[in-house]
Amino acid sequence: MIFITGPLYSGKRAFAAQLLHCTEQQLGQYAVWDVQQLAADCAGTDDLTALADRLAAHPVVIATEVGGGVVPVDEAQRAAREAAGRLACLLAARADTVVRLFCGLPTVLKGRIAP
Amino acid sequence: MMTLVMGGAASGKSEFAEQLLLQSGILPRYYIATMQPFDEECRLRIEKHRQMRAQKRFETIECYTGLADLHLPQKGAVLLECMSNLVANELYSPEGAGEEALSAILTGVEQLAAQSRQLVVVSNEVFSGGLDYAGDTGRYLRLLAEVNRKLAARAHRVCEVVCGIPQEHKGGWQEHADA
Repeated sequence: MIFITGPLYSGKRAFAAQLLHCTEQQLGQYAVWDVQQLAADCAGTDDLTALADRLAAHPVVIATEVGGGVVPVDEAQRAAREAAGRLACLLAARADTVVRLFCGLPTVLKGRIAP
Repeated sequence: MMTLVMGGAASGKSEFAEQLLLQSGILPRYYIATMQPFDEECRLRIEKHRQMRAQKRFETIECYTGLADLHLPQKGAVLLECMSNLVANELYSPEGAGEEALSAILTGVEQLAAQSRQLVVVSNEVFSGGLDYAGDTGRYLRLLAEVNRKLAARAHRVCEVVCGIPQEHKGGWQEHADA
């Protein structure tokens, strides 16, 4: 599994499509994205681990980094952000390759991508 | 040559960008300032920075919107700061391009690059804090991100300044070190 992360609007899906030699419209066949939003619905660690296992069955998993701002005042938002970060760690551990996008430019954090 | 310098608030991106142009030795040096002074705090901050840059022989030129119409007296070293302000001005100011903001900005940067021997553009990394913003901020973020991606694709070098230290994302930093 290839895990792609990066800030909002950093070109993650465009990069995934390029990697998979498909259009962004076809991406849904191979990849899941915005998985950080799924983390919020997990009740605890077991749930989160099970989610990571399920997601890791996809060839490509994409998550947006959301942990870079001020700690949210709202309790639910705080928990969601926490879960998103931990899910990303679980996915990165399961991935053969981890790529971070920044302004459309990829940096390989783990493994390697074919040139 | 065009360089894109990214970074969060107070990451040291401005200083690093200035250093790049100082090291190039290219004269004259122009600083294109995009921050519109809305209050006294802004004015004081701008004046302080203007004086600091004058000591480094940067001539400050203000440009809040309509970058494409800017004509520099000579071809030199140019620092454009900050893209986050220019995007906001083009999007929200009455003089701004509004819906045409993206093309106005990209055309403006191309015009500026054509008038520069070295161009450094500073922009802001504000995309890692989630999307829980009120009102129109999402539209602003999408536009700024698109400008950043387009500039990153166009630039010869891209770096992200973290605690004053540049992390390279693209380009031949070494080969241009003495250029």
